[in-house]
Parts: sequence; C-alpha cells; structure tokens
Amino acid sequence: MSMGEAHRRITEYLNRFSDAISSQDGATFKSLFALSSNSPFLLSLGDALNLFQDPNRLIKQSDNYSQFADILVPLFRSLLNYRQNNLLEAYNAFEKTANAFIQEFRNWESAWALEALYVIVYDIRVLAEKADKELASNGKSPEKLKGAGSVLMKFFGTLAGKGSKRVGALYVTCQLFKIYFKLGTVHLCRSVIRSIETARIFDFEEFPKRDKVTYMYYTGRLEVFNENFPAADYKLSYALKHCNPQSEANIRMILKHLIPVKLSIGILPKNSLLEKYNLLEYSKIVQALRRGDLRLLRCALQDHEDRFLRSGVYLVLEKLELQVYQRLVKKIYIIQKQKDPGRAHQVKLEVIVKALKWLEIDMDVDEVECIVAILIYKNLMKGYFAHKSKVVVLSKQDPFPKLNGKPVNS
Amino acid sequence: MATEPKAAADDVKIDLFEDDDEFEEFEINEEWDDKEEGKEVTQQWEDDWDDDDVSDDFSLQLRRELESNTEKN
Repeated sequence: MSMGEAHRRITEYLNRFSDAISSQDGATFKSLFALSSNSPFLLSLGDALNLFQDPNRLIKQSDNYSQFADILVPLFRSLLNYRQNNLLEAYNAFEKTANAFIQEFRNWESAWALEALYVIVYDIRVLAEKADKELASNGKSPEKLKGAGSVLMKFFGTLAGKGSKRVGALYVTCQLFKIYFKLGTVHLCRSVIRSIETARIFDFEEFPKRDKVTYMYYTGRLEVFNENFPAADYKLSYALKHCNPQSEANIRMILKHLIPVKLSIGILPKNSLLEKYNLLEYSKIVQALRRGDLRLLRCALQDHEDRFLRSGVYLVLEKLELQVYQRLVKKIYIIQKQKDPGRAHQVKLEVIVKALKWLEIDMDVDEVECIVAILIYKNLMKGYFAHKSKVVVLSKQDPFPKLNGKPVNS
Repeated sequence: MATEPKAAADDVKIDLFEDDDEFEEFEINEEWDDKEEGKEVTQQWEDDWDDDDVSDDFSLQLRRELESNTEKN
C-alpha cells in the first residue's frame, strides 16, 4: 500500500464518521466501531494507520473531525494495535474511545446511535477477554474484563433514564451478565437486576426480543444457583419459548439448565428432546427417576461429574436422590399391594434395605429409617413409623404425593 | 519475585470460572417468529409419568428379588 493510498483510506473513514453523525445514519456509524468483526474496511484501515505515521494530524485538520478527536484518536490507536495483535494496548485505547463515546451519546437527544453503542459495548467485552488472555500468558494479573464491567456500568447509567434510549439498557445488562459469569462475580448482577425489575421507567416487554431471551437465560441461571426453582422454571422456560428456533446452540444452553430445574419439580424431558439437542448426559438420570434406581443415578452423576459441575447443576441433580428413594419405596409398595392388598400399607424397613442391597447400596435399618423420615418430612411420603417393629405405616390415601410442578419441601 | 505466585493464582481463577455456557450473541436487528418452535419445545415434557406401572424390567427384577428374599425369611 502506498502512502497516498493510506492517506485516502484514513480520510475516507473520517468522512464516513462525520457524515454518519451529521445525517444520523446509525447503520454506517455502528460499522465504524466494530473492531472484532474483522471487516475488510477496518482491517485495511489498520494497515493504512500502520503506514501513515501521524493520523492524528488528519483528525485535527478539519473541524468536522477534530470535535470528535476524543473518540477518534484512541480509536485509531486501538485499530492499529488490534491489527498488530497487541490486544492489551488495543483494549486500553478502546476503553478511552468508549468513555469518550458515552459523553457524546449523552448529548444526542434521540437514540439514533444506539446500534453503535451496542457494538462498542460488545467489543469492549470481547477485547477485554482477549487482553486478559494476553496478560495471563505473560504471567500478569488479568484485570481488564473487570475494568470493562466498570465501563459498562457507566453505559447502563446513561441508558437508565427516560426517553427512547432506555431500550438499550437490557443489552448492556446482558453483556454485564456475561462478564460477571465469566469472572465468577455473579453477586454483582443483583444491582442491575433490581434496576431492570423494579425501576418504573422500564417496561420489560418493550425491550428487544433477543435481549429479553438472553436476560431470562442468565437470571434463570442465577435462580438455579439460589435454588429458587419456580422462578428458575419461569425464566428459563420464557427464554426457551421465545428463543430464535434457528439458534440451536442457545436452545441447547437453555435446556442444559432448565432440565435439572424441571427434574427437581417432578417433570421429565422426553428422550426425543435429549436426542435432538445432544443432551444425552441427562438420559440416565431420567431413567433413574422413572425406575427408582439409586445406583443408576449415582453412576450417571459420576460419569458426567465434570460437565455438571462446570454448568453449576451438579448439586441440583444430586438432590434428586430423594425423589429416586420415593419412587423405589413406591414400587416396593405397589409390588406388595399386588401380592397382599390388605397389608400393603405396612412396609418393613428391612425390605427397603434388601432392595438397596440388590442395587449394591449398603445401608442398615437405622440409615433407611432416617431416609424414610426425611421423605415423610419433605411430604414425598405420607405415613408414620411403628418404631419397635421397624415398619413404616403408609397412609391409605395418596401415600406418595406427586410434586405437580412444585419443588420438594425444604 | 513475590508477584509470581499471585499471577499464577489469578490464572487459575480465570480458568476456574471459565463459563462454557456463554449465550451466543443474536444479531443486532435479528427478528424471528417464536410461535411455532416455542410450542414444539414446550411440548417435550412429561409431568404425569409417575404411574403405578411395575411391568418394566427393573420392577420385575425388583419383584423377583423381594420375593426370593421373603421366601428365605
């Protein structure tokens, strides 16, 4: 590339920038910030900046550009460093651009530049992640993603007012969630959620569908962490119902967290669903619940322990043991009922011990009594102990209440 | 020298919380009709599965086990 060509490309970019602002052309404007999109136009601009030693001189040459120097100077530095794969420097410069952009954005009355804001918000997160990888590989402390979170909180504050700009607040929130989940600082989600869900200025239904789906996915996952299963079911089911049917990866991710929630409230996924979205790690767990097979449940949890731990659902799945015990005792009761209807409601604890021994689970009568006591306490069984004779006497009416979409009593 | 262990610890921290369930971005102006797919996926659940049927293999084996044990007693 010649010096003249480099000059031409930089000038073309600056003209597009000032024209987009003067004509409030949001579509063109957003494309000028999309570093991580690797668009040929921005890549060639990066090459031009590499060749042209002093692009800042061009910015300051004209009033059209110089009034936006606070955005453009660091943006050029970021583009140049990004092109040269200096990701830390690219991030540092882009953060300056983002801060300068938000100052300008506040002054624009309408929301014409909202799409450009989305691009900046997305890219600052992506660049921060890349910069942190670079820092970590050099043995330094990765801290840029945390910094990006602080910048995005400023963006959120700007959007959380009255007027047409507020529809952008949920997109920023979702990017913040991605940062907090990545950093393991999910407690920081609380303040943003409070703003979205309690502030009178927001009407959830007026936000774009893509943001509502993403928001419900992340807040649903938070409800899973807090073991608030009815809320988790509502939020993840909303995300599932409204997700783009073409986005199979996202549907799969929603299901990965919704299935444990559904299992916890006594609802099973059909095998066709597990097959379609390649979630067969749940098939043995479903089978274990149907059968009352405690050994199968424990094997399934062991086989996929890493995967379940990474997704944060292991503890939820582990708690399904009580439902499996309930199912096993219910089967023992039905088998007894078919053989001797008159005495079916009296189940010897020794019989449960033997059933567990058959499943290669060694428990003595006292341990089984303890489990049955928990089942009764949690309303998974109705009955009482005849302690001396080591028998559990089951209620003649509905001895094994169904969950009916409600969580096990805690 | 004192900073090296700290850097290593931070490195571990970032791996520990690496979130492999990060939701994919939708395009900025992406629109879709969710009516049909939403209906299909929401019908893929069973809430009335906990019946009194004990004719499956597992239950039959359990029955045999319990009966053989009662005969021994």
